[in-house]
Amino acid sequence: MSHILLMTVYALLVSLFFAVMQRREPRAQLRLFLQLFLGMMLGGLALAWLMYPFPSGPPAPIP
Amino acid sequence: MASETDSEIEPQERSNAESWVAGALGWVLPGLGHFYLGRRVRAAVFLLIIGTAVVIGCSLEGNLYRPMPDQPLSYLATLACMGTGLPYFLLRYGLGYAGHVVAPGYEYGSAFLITAGLMNLLLVLDVLDIARGRKT
Repeated sequence: MSHILLMTVYALLVSLFFAVMQRREPRAQLRLFLQLFLGMMLGGLALAWLMYPFPSGPPAPIP
Repeated sequence: MASETDSEIEPQERSNAESWVAGALGWVLPGLGHFYLGRRVRAAVFLLIIGTAVVIGCSLEGNLYRPMPDQPLSYLATLACMGTGLPYFLLRYGLGYAGHVVAPGYEYGSAFLITAGLMNLLLVLDVLDIARGRKT
């Protein structure tokens, strides 16, 4: 699986979880779901873009 | 997304013992506490979400943490993973699952497994709030 697909699935699960747990009305749930999902996706992409110029360095040793 | 029937349920204060039973059930299996309190649709949604996270975490061969004396943070990670309740013990002792450190999805899988446990711990708190009449 690609990094972006895993990030999307993760954001979907977590957003859905908090939307259903924190809100009771379907409309409010949808609103919170979209806020969280878009926040995580756009935030993740923004962080990835900001880190892009930095070198990743050698791989960490396997414990 | 969630049920209209669940949102229509009135808050109801339950006995202290019943609250703890609901909380314990919620820890044993994700969603079982909500099911016990009559929030059946929400229970199914939570079971599906947390179950999916566990299945993805295992398919990526993520780490199902266990305590390691020389790594203090492993205790916290173990507690987080144990938050999934019965699935943790079934995977660890029943199936002998541990994860595979050189698997390509190891880090992602570990994140999914830890998140599944933490989400279920939040559900236990949610169940306790519902049982004590603080939430619907």
